[in-house]
Amino acid sequence: MSRIGVFICHCGENIARTVDCARLAEESGKLPGVMVSVDYKYMCSDPGQNMIKRAIAEHKLDGVVVAACSPHMHEPTFRAAVVQSGMNPYLCEMANIREHCSWVHTDRELATEKAIDLVRVMVEKVKRNQELFPIRVPITKRALVIGGGIAGIQAALDIAAGGHEVILVERQPSVGGNMARLSETFPTLDCSQCILTPRMVEVARDPRITLYTYAEVEEVEGFVGNFKVKIRQKAKSVNADICNGCGDCWNKCPMKKIPSEFDAGLGYRTAIYVPFPQAVPNTPVIDREHCLKFLKDKCGVCAKVCTRGAIDYEMQDEIIEAEVGAIVVATGYDLYGIGKEQPNERWKGYGEYNYDTYKDVINGIQFERLLSASGPTQGEVRRPSDGKVPKSVAFIACVGSRDPEKGIEYCSKICCMYVAKHAMLYKHKVHDGQPYIFYMDIRAGGKNYEEFVRRAVEEDGVLYIRGRVSKIYKDGDQLVVVGADTLSDSQVQIRADLVVLATAMVPHKNAYEFAQKIGIACGSEGFYSEAHPKLRPVETMTAGIYLAGACQAPKDIPDAVAQASAAASKVQLLFSSDELEREPIVAKVNEVTCVHCRNCIRVCPYSAIDDKEIRDRHGNLIRMVAEVNEGMCMGCGTCVAACPSKSVQLAGFNDEQVFAEILALGHE
Amino acid sequence: MVSDEMETEGKPALSEKEWQPKIIAFVCNWCTYAGADLAGTSRIVYEPHVRVIKLPCTGRIDVSFIIKAFEQGADGVMVSGCHPGDCHYTAGNYHARRRFAGFRDLLEFCGFDMRRVIFSWVSAAEGKKWADLVNEVVGKIRELGPFKEYQNLLAQSAL
Amino acid sequence: MIEQIREKAKELLTSGEVKVVIGYENGGMPETTRPVFITSPDEVERLIWNKHCYANLANFFVRKEVASLGKPAIIAKGCDVKAITVLVQESQIKREEIVILGVTCEGVGEPLLSKCPICDVNTPRDYNFLFGKEIAPKNGINKSADVEEFERKSPEERWEFWEEQFSRCIKCYACRQVCPLCYCEVCIADKNQPQWIETSSHTRGNVHWNLIRAWHLSGRCIDCGECERACPVGIPLSLLNRRLAKSVKERFGYEPGYDQEKAPPFTDFKQEDSQEFIR
Repeated sequence: MSRIGVFICHCGENIARTVDCARLAEESGKLPGVMVSVDYKYMCSDPGQNMIKRAIAEHKLDGVVVAACSPHMHEPTFRAAVVQSGMNPYLCEMANIREHCSWVHTDRELATEKAIDLVRVMVEKVKRNQELFPIRVPITKRALVIGGGIAGIQAALDIAAGGHEVILVERQPSVGGNMARLSETFPTLDCSQCILTPRMVEVARDPRITLYTYAEVEEVEGFVGNFKVKIRQKAKSVNADICNGCGDCWNKCPMKKIPSEFDAGLGYRTAIYVPFPQAVPNTPVIDREHCLKFLKDKCGVCAKVCTRGAIDYEMQDEIIEAEVGAIVVATGYDLYGIGKEQPNERWKGYGEYNYDTYKDVINGIQFERLLSASGPTQGEVRRPSDGKVPKSVAFIACVGSRDPEKGIEYCSKICCMYVAKHAMLYKHKVHDGQPYIFYMDIRAGGKNYEEFVRRAVEEDGVLYIRGRVSKIYKDGDQLVVVGADTLSDSQVQIRADLVVLATAMVPHKNAYEFAQKIGIACGSEGFYSEAHPKLRPVETMTAGIYLAGACQAPKDIPDAVAQASAAASKVQLLFSSDELEREPIVAKVNEVTCVHCRNCIRVCPYSAIDDKEIRDRHGNLIRMVAEVNEGMCMGCGTCVAACPSKSVQLAGFNDEQVFAEILALGHE
Repeated sequence: MVSDEMETEGKPALSEKEWQPKIIAFVCNWCTYAGADLAGTSRIVYEPHVRVIKLPCTGRIDVSFIIKAFEQGADGVMVSGCHPGDCHYTAGNYHARRRFAGFRDLLEFCGFDMRRVIFSWVSAAEGKKWADLVNEVVGKIRELGPFKEYQNLLAQSAL
Repeated sequence: MIEQIREKAKELLTSGEVKVVIGYENGGMPETTRPVFITSPDEVERLIWNKHCYANLANFFVRKEVASLGKPAIIAKGCDVKAITVLVQESQIKREEIVILGVTCEGVGEPLLSKCPICDVNTPRDYNFLFGKEIAPKNGINKSADVEEFERKSPEERWEFWEEQFSRCIKCYACRQVCPLCYCEVCIADKNQPQWIETSSHTRGNVHWNLIRAWHLSGRCIDCGECERACPVGIPLSLLNRRLAKSVKERFGYEPGYDQEKAPPFTDFKQEDSQEFIR
């Protein structure tokens, strides 16, 4: 005979207002096997929990039902409480009489009837609960960091500094990401590359970090502590072990007019190239789509000039398999496409700004390249069309962002600051030039950010015009920017030599597919979802996978770095023990009745079930059965329903428990 | 044993009162249960006749649960889980969907009143959908009345 | 034809390639046959083949008593071979560990059993040795004509029909015993903790049993019709089986018993599977 305690919470008046808690306690007390049934104002409070603990000892309870809020809220609280009284946590269940009852019903009598039913269901279930013990699985103390921008670099360095191995995977031929393309950074005007390159070098030098550039993560399997990943190392066509980065090959390459991705199309690169001078590693790759050797089987100059014989046209993609315990996703961002071609239907672009047509209408990252000493103009501000130094520049904020009509509702967060920086840097380089900024409002919430904007206005004479720009057209060799000035309530027209659009940060164009591939969630915009917007901002819903940087939401450098360090510390927390405790809600096969039809093996989403041979003591095979690897089982129970002879059962949700719950509702 | 302990329990007989629909819902923990939680947090008022039984995943739901629920006098049964592609366990709901499809074809063939078995996808964000669905189902079951055809089976004996 | 079968049986037994030949012999009464297990080359004369050889002998593979005799050869009609294919697919037997003595068949029973006019495997799809003249498969047969006919009834009529049928079930489980694909050692009907199928003799438990029996064969039943033939109270079980076969074919494009490499439909899924019934 069971000895169950029922503890009913009023939740202040959240429950008691609609459910007659006294009657509920009385009726629950009449249920067979219930030794004690009480109600109390706040069960989750200290006195409430003590009430449960005392009752367990006093009445020698072997099961507890707490009728209160959703188990998603307080199940851990009450399970921890019963443990303190020496009870196994899995002998405690919750009946949800708040979210599923008092908050959604108004008829007191019917709500109380329902609450009684919900308690009866849980009492019948808990009678059949069994003690369960956490499953321990070993942890592979090696992390995978996906993305070699500043966030990925920071995460990798931090994890490595903690003494763990890191695999860092970057798609491009060099680490550095978008930060490497920036000129100076707000609000300090540090040179971006000057502060970044030491980190890049450190990543390459740290013996605990294995760096794969020009590589992509192809597959992620497994679970927290025990992921198996496949990485595609794209063929670089250059043997990195031999190459010393002398540069003879790219200096001699005849294909010199390939638009440089790094310079956002403003400069050119060769077919064999390193993306920028400070690239890490400093090994070139051959872009096979543009190389004459691959296109027409001609040329071969790079192989001829390479004194070390590092060029290898036969090189193939390679799949690298690795085991890791944790994954940090730091895949970064793209920019909103301003022109006609959009990656999805929702985004409409800005045809009225003529980005595609006018060479002197450029986006934010292109202006960064014009400002950068490593850029196509060696840091002189010269406009793309004719190389003239622009004497007036119009900057337009919020291009793409905060505009549901154009497809994006959110604020891209960094644009206000980078526009101010752009205007300021322009002024620093072209002293007699005039910067104008069209803006909606200025969001400068950050340490020293507001001061920075004020400096742009007060010291550098940047003219801020509050209003949107409706169109841009060409007049002679100038651009006429037509907009509103909502502060003076008038139309304005600015004649500008150059227009810079402060384009919004958007998720990577393959963000959704990649999320599917590695098994994390992704919001409708395509930014990756954190486990909780406030309390778990760097974790994903998938245990062991963490987020860093702009792949989660638009972020500036300090925020991306902070999140990367947070993700790294989460990884180290995970790696701080040798084993991982997992919920024991796993399936188990009854080998006596299993007939090895293999249904369970086929349906398991985690490939956690395998064939097992039963042999006699002489080693003769008697028969085959299925076997669950409890380290890999996630507890969905799909195998249980697929088993015709009911030889697989899921701990915590076995057939006996579920049937008892159904039967508990059978009484009138 | 399941049945023994419950024979003796006491509960005021509802039969003296007006008949109320009895609906048993089998839902997954991650989507529909959480969706129903959200309906609660959002204080969306709906009909109080549904009793939720929580399973980890729709993949865990055996078709026998549905029959058992009707055996226990349910006038309607709801089965609800994560939308395709949204399963916490990646594929449990896809397997469930096949089973439900086949099994409902069988029930329908046997002349079972299919208005009493309601399958749905309700995500953790769809508190409103859950509330609306419950209201609709309760309304329909009220219209249909008690599931006499099934409840009468008990009285029939082969011998 | 039977002479050739006996000859082959003798040869296989003499060489020791197989230890037992599972076939048919004369039953005790006219126009009846019964299964026979020939273990000695001297006994092959007992084997017969005629249109009263109804039984699906694949049922015996999974029986321990038979398995313990050693490697079997089996006389199998096209429909029986389909059951063998499912058993291989579900890893109950290994194809290389049995010898199929396939027989071409124009139908069994007088009058023909209901499965025979809709048969498209008059020549078995898999065998080690074939006996009889090959018969080309019929084209364009509608395997679910009786189902469609029944579906024209109203839901109330259908319920009334099955309620009456199931009310007569005595839960003797002959349908299960005779089924070559009901091979669980502990059947759901025998489980009492929890009690899946109510044991008392009321229609409610009968309904549960009959639904679950059909359900567990969904996507697996190869329509040998043995369950219906064995049912002592004459419940048209094949009608239920064929309804489920229709469902699986229409929804998932799958027919059991034709391809042992395919995943059974209820252990597989497609993202685009039909879900018109889901809200």
